[in-house]
Amino acid sequence: MAASKAACGVLRGFAGRRGFLLFCSKNNRYVTQARTYASVIQHAVEKIGPIEIEDDEFRVLVIPGHTLGPERKRMERRKQKEVPPPRYKNMSTEQDWTSVWPAAQSFKWSVVPFPVRQGFAQRQENQGMPPGKYANAELMKIPNFLHLTPAHIKQHCAAMKKYCTAWPAGLETDEQCETHFPLVVITRSYLVDSPSIRDARSRIVTFQVKLSSLNLDYHARDKLLRLVGDRYEPDTDLLTITTDRCPLKRQNYDYATYLLTALCLESRKTEPWEAEKTVADMEKYVWDLMESKKSLLQSVQHMKERLQSAQVDTAKIPKYLNELPSTPAEEEVVNLPLVAEYRDAVTRLHNEGEDLSTVCQYKEAVKKLLLNVSAPL
Amino acid sequence: MTLAVSFPKSGQLLAQLHVVSCPRLATRCISTTRVCEKNLRAGQHKITNNRSKPLTYEQAQPPYKIGVTKSWNSWNTSSLYEEKERTSETTVEDVFIRKFMLGTFHNLMLSEVIIKRRQNLIVICGLMYRGIAPRKMYFLQGYTEELLSCLLKRPVRVELQTVESRKDMIFKWI
Repeated sequence: MAASKAACGVLRGFAGRRGFLLFCSKNNRYVTQARTYASVIQHAVEKIGPIEIEDDEFRVLVIPGHTLGPERKRMERRKQKEVPPPRYKNMSTEQDWTSVWPAAQSFKWSVVPFPVRQGFAQRQENQGMPPGKYANAELMKIPNFLHLTPAHIKQHCAAMKKYCTAWPAGLETDEQCETHFPLVVITRSYLVDSPSIRDARSRIVTFQVKLSSLNLDYHARDKLLRLVGDRYEPDTDLLTITTDRCPLKRQNYDYATYLLTALCLESRKTEPWEAEKTVADMEKYVWDLMESKKSLLQSVQHMKERLQSAQVDTAKIPKYLNELPSTPAEEEVVNLPLVAEYRDAVTRLHNEGEDLSTVCQYKEAVKKLLLNVSAPL
Repeated sequence: MTLAVSFPKSGQLLAQLHVVSCPRLATRCISTTRVCEKNLRAGQHKITNNRSKPLTYEQAQPPYKIGVTKSWNSWNTSSLYEEKERTSETTVEDVFIRKFMLGTFHNLMLSEVIIKRRQNLIVICGLMYRGIAPRKMYFLQGYTEELLSCLLKRPVRVELQTVESRKDMIFKWI
């Protein structure tokens, strides 16, 4: 009897697993469908024996690996919390945007309350519409300025105001600034993405100063120009000193300061060897040292001699010759206003180069020296 | 040129020799015409017969449209004029970050990994699928930030955004 009870329990157990119903009462001995499992049943009965159950109920046989006593609860997947609606839907139009977007961050579609599209759609792609802000990676790539709205800038300014001082009086225009601060120091800071803020290029320091602001006399200016070489720009009157020899900006700044100081002091000095300056060393055309002066003196002397020895039409000769003594001294000739005019014209022609005005001036000066301009030719 | 002589019949050998010395083969050249050099298929997805392949916006734009209809995935100062410092390091780090993100957020990244560098800060963004619990996502975000900032020796910020469905990323079907 015990064995039949167990068999019924097994059958019921199989029925539960297989999904079809088998009815067997306490008195029915076998059901045909269960025959295939006979060996299994036999084995199970031997192994675990019958289960004590009340007579009124169907018996249940539990076979390890096949049936489990009470049906095991299937592990239900935890339901995900419902995602709240995007934040922009709850935003009021009166809100403070600076507290919504306080600092720089990537574009967030759920926070930005206005509709925006980014992208390019051809023909029927995306229904012919550029992609909207939702799930748009293009919007996340580009830098945005939602943290730099006018409201933000106002707050920044208000926060920084306590560190600011008033603009000094008397420095309203650029000219005033140049007068009071003639030296311009140029340094550069390089901002790149890097774990280090050091940059080798930021060591370079440039000093710029106008020579006219250094209060140099002619000799000092000339000497300084010879010392600085091509660091001087004649068009703008700017002297530029660039230092990049030292590894640090501060060191280069100190070196440039030293250079500028030394240049000014050295230029103001006059060394003994500077007296040995020759014509070839002159920085520009000086008429008094040149051959032109000698030629002029000779010409005047020659004209004067011809005037005395030969019969010449006095109406055609220049008037100043009559006023000169027979053997004029050098100073007498040089001090003549016509000669001074000639000297200026020649000097200008050499120093400024040939152009229409200098050549015309030279022509007029020569005509006045050699001819009586007022007389008809 | 060596020729393997392993033909049993002399006729075949002669035929092979004829092929080798064929003037048509000898005059094969490379084309230097500009039009022929153009390779427009590189980096583009192949069209299916039934248009059943979904593409994101990023994938739909060919590489030569970078800077025109789509922008770069790496934003840094390496490509600036006369910028030579740390350009190679930046590139190698970017590759590493991408691999790290794809491995950490496995099967969750729906967009490309976008790496934006500002001063010493690295900002990593991307669109994620809501495949794991939020607390796990937050853990991975913090884990990524901490580990990457230790490895790269600079602060790293991960700005993630989730997308409800993978289908939301589809721009077109090809």
